[in-house]
Amino acid sequence: MEEEEYQKMIKRCVRCSVCKWIPQVQIKSQKYASGCPAIDIYNFHPYSGGGKIIIALAYEMGRIKPTEELRDIVYKCTACGNCAVACKYMNTLEPLEIIMKLREKLVNTGCGPMPQQQAYIEAVKKVNNPYNEPHEKRTDWIPDDVTLDPNAKILYFVGCTSSYRRKEMAIATARIMNEAGVSFNILQNDEFCCGSPILRIGDTTTFEEILNKNLDIIESRGIETVVFSCAGCYDTFKVDYPLSRKFDFEVKHTVELFDELIESEQLKLTDNVPIIVTYHDPCHLGRNAERYEDWDGDVVPLMPLVSINIPPKPKRTGSKGIYDAPRKILKKIPGLKLLEMERIQEYAYCCGAGAGVKSAFPEMALKTANMRIEEAEDSGADFLVSACPFCSTNLQDGINDKKSKLKYFDISEILLMALGLEPEKLKQATAEVL
Amino acid sequence: MLKEEILKEFQKIVGDENIDDGEVTTNTYAYNWCVEFVNYLANKDPIPFSSIPKAIILPSTTEEVQKIVQLCNKYDIQFKAQSTGLGPWNQPSTDNCVILDLRRMNKIVKIDVKNLYVVVEPYVSGAQIQVEVMKFGLNIHMPGAGPMASALASHTSMCGPGFTSPQTGHSARNVLGTEWVLPTGKILRLGSLGLKKESDWYSGDGPGPSLRGIMRGWVGTKSGLGVFTRVAMKLFPYPCNTKYIAKGHSPLYDFHLPDFIRAYLLDCRNFKHLEKSLLRIEEEEIAFICSHMSSFAVMAIFSYSLESLMDKIAIGSMKKPLVIVIAARTKREFDYKQKVMNLIMDELNLTNIIGSKYEPKSLFYAECLRANLGYHGFIATGGFQSAKGQCDTAALCLNTERKNIPLKQKYIEKGVIANDFGEGAWMTSYESGHYFHMEVPTLFDQTNAESVKGIAEYMEESNQMDLVKHLGTPFFIEGDELHDEWGPHLMNYHIWLRKIKETFDPNGISDPGFYISSKKGDV
Ligand SMILES: Cc1cc2nc3c(=O)[nH]c(=O)nc-3n(C[C@H](O)[C@H](O)[C@H](O)COP(=O)(O)OP(=O)(O)OC[C@H]3O[C@@H](n4cnc5c(N)ncnc54)[C@H](O)[C@@H]3O)c2cc1C
Ligand code: SF4
Ligand code: SF4
Repeated sequence: MEEEEYQKMIKRCVRCSVCKWIPQVQIKSQKYASGCPAIDIYNFHPYSGGGKIIIALAYEMGRIKPTEELRDIVYKCTACGNCAVACKYMNTLEPLEIIMKLREKLVNTGCGPMPQQQAYIEAVKKVNNPYNEPHEKRTDWIPDDVTLDPNAKILYFVGCTSSYRRKEMAIATARIMNEAGVSFNILQNDEFCCGSPILRIGDTTTFEEILNKNLDIIESRGIETVVFSCAGCYDTFKVDYPLSRKFDFEVKHTVELFDELIESEQLKLTDNVPIIVTYHDPCHLGRNAERYEDWDGDVVPLMPLVSINIPPKPKRTGSKGIYDAPRKILKKIPGLKLLEMERIQEYAYCCGAGAGVKSAFPEMALKTANMRIEEAEDSGADFLVSACPFCSTNLQDGINDKKSKLKYFDISEILLMALGLEPEKLKQATAEVL
Repeated sequence: MLKEEILKEFQKIVGDENIDDGEVTTNTYAYNWCVEFVNYLANKDPIPFSSIPKAIILPSTTEEVQKIVQLCNKYDIQFKAQSTGLGPWNQPSTDNCVILDLRRMNKIVKIDVKNLYVVVEPYVSGAQIQVEVMKFGLNIHMPGAGPMASALASHTSMCGPGFTSPQTGHSARNVLGTEWVLPTGKILRLGSLGLKKESDWYSGDGPGPSLRGIMRGWVGTKSGLGVFTRVAMKLFPYPCNTKYIAKGHSPLYDFHLPDFIRAYLLDCRNFKHLEKSLLRIEEEEIAFICSHMSSFAVMAIFSYSLESLMDKIAIGSMKKPLVIVIAARTKREFDYKQKVMNLIMDELNLTNIIGSKYEPKSLFYAECLRANLGYHGFIATGGFQSAKGQCDTAALCLNTERKNIPLKQKYIEKGVIANDFGEGAWMTSYESGHYFHMEVPTLFDQTNAESVKGIAEYMEESNQMDLVKHLGTPFFIEGDELHDEWGPHLMNYHIWLRKIKETFDPNGISDPGFYISSKKGDV
């Protein structure tokens, strides 16, 4: 967000609290009416999206100083974007973008980020991943039976979390592409952090360096399509990179690719997977994965105090997230039953891990995950499925903490079962619930 | 900030994590919608921040509220209660005030399907109650502020008209048993809840003590007379079947219309014709919504962005629009209501524009049922506030609306409020035309100093006009200065109001900023 727009917008919050809830017309029960993990956990108004807009204004007016109190509140937020969807149902504010800009300002004054987050920035600078793992171990996940094609025009950008923490997702993705006959390659030791965790805590300078490094490498390889199994990397490449630097290659999340491969029958779902699942929409694959559209119109004064945009300026409302592809995949799996949670798609509740929360405020991440797990349990499903390694880690932590009977799988793992490539896993999974 | 020892005492009541006197939190609570022009009217800097509260406290039970209030009395600190907290009425009027944010009191205590009431705590929104009572085919009254607002705050403390008022009335009329922490810290239970034996929530006025007039009167005491911790409110039959499915994506959800619901948009020729139409339709007791509004406002309630508002110029040229929604639970009921509407339209020479010249999006019906139409007021300029707020006969409401047009036009010509031709108004009947409400929503730009000044001066002049021309009492007569001005014209009610304040709040602890202070010796 440009500074000028920021300065104007922070004066416009009407303190209606709509951003604390999911869109009003979507509320189905008292229990699952809320939409903002930060306010749900910390309760004081400044934790909400609208509250942070007021903070931004108070900060600009010099009413509050860059203190630890301020930093704590501004960073106890998963940048999930529910507030932005709820506000823009009718209003026009961008609470999430304001939060991001506020974080950038705190970083620039030295007040932000949180110490744990600063530590992972240093790790990315040193070893190219926020987990401080050795760079040379990045490709350790690759099993012998996976085929890579050095001349492929499709690149699988694995991402730090799948490379080091959720290897099962990387393996499943590679196997599915092999099964479908899709020739692809990975960047091997030239793959670095996408920069998402750094951007979301407001270090835009380091982020710029990272995005340029990544784009230089990918563009130098003549790649036509980059595929991501990580929602965070996908969102960062798709939505955030083009704001700084445009590129020509196509970006796809694996759910989009798999859906196409099933549609074109390159993938044949042969095996019965008789389980009941519910699907969690990752914020970075859902509402936040909506690109900014270029707008080159005019602001035309209509009457005193009222100006309109001609043509209308596209508003990011969360409506263009990737919602259908994962559901189409799940619905095509023989024997599988999909039950929806109450809060889905652009008004899905966050898993709780994003934007540096998992590292700086693990208790907030866990509480949020627990609330989401409860909702998944209430859906009547036995399995929770999603499409993001970060959601995967946090939701599984929630399942363990809550001692929930739910089982978690990434959608790619379920797909492997349906393809007959994981008979043992399928047997195990179904034995426990049937 | 609070003194260390006082902070510790509050912490003992609610726990360390539920009180915050830090700079960031207290400043955030100092901000609210419309505070800038309230400041201007009080000769203060027209910024959107009020006095900074000393601390924010989050109690979770009535007992905690009671202890906090007792402590406030002990240390002579004022308190302000807020539920969902929208609007300047939530702001402390002095630097010596703590805010009780009742967010953690969020339970639906009881739904009594047989006796048609629901008991709730402060932080349960209208939408939350509605979806739970819908499971029993029931509905609640929500104020025009919308489904995100606290139902308890509206019922006990603040105004109360809503779009469904023809069927669901006014918040003040729907209050049953009430649990009230008085400014002294004593707990008072009203209506059947106050019975010594077999107390329950079913009635507000007895058996048991009825103090509804004192407790909230018509516009509410706005936290000037203690804290309401639980209230029972009336339930109504949900107007149609309760399948409520909105598919697609925000904002233009595709609402699956329930079986028997229909909207009418009628254009009356002039005020007389409008009055007759309103009275006739309401006489038949068929409307779920029966609202008159300006053509500009009609465009707004059908729009989801400023640009799409401009697409609706076709309906922008209406003279005196009337929006009616009828809904029914059976086909027979629906046929009957439609037949009656047809007969009235023939009788009054009215045509339904919906279906002929204009078709609203299905989402319009979802918003009617969920009481979400008021929020459209923000579409044009991002800021609005209403003048007037009369509650009276249709004739007086319309007379007030008519007389206000030239005044509003004066400010439109100055360029300080948006141009709705001076006609911007919202009027609804209550309880099938038993009486009426009219307010004049006015659009301004809260980021523009001239506009802030403009709306403030316009509101002030509008109040003066109501007083001098005998147009009834506007709803925002609040605080000592205005009460002292209006009281002598209205049977010296302000003297009695002060007496109430003094009796219930001898130490002046419940922030009187939007109510009245006792000003000892005046009575
Ligand atoms: C778009 C829009 C349309 C509106 N239309 C209408 C309308 O049609 N009808 C209408 O009535 N109002 C309307 N309003 C004004 C509206 O009533 C107030 O903004 C709304 O009631 C604030 O509600 P809240 O639930 O957030 O309550 P709060 O803001 O929490 O409370 C409102 C007042 O009650 C006091 N209070 C709250 N809880 C308690 C408690 N437990 N004990 C003691 N005092 C308490 C507060 O101090 C405050 O003074 C509208 C506002 C907007 C923005
Ligand atoms: S950010 Fe938007 S939704 Fe939230 S309080 Fe402000 S105006 Fe309302
Ligand atoms: S981004 Fe998510 S957690 Fe942060 S304020 Fe908005 S809704 Fe709350």
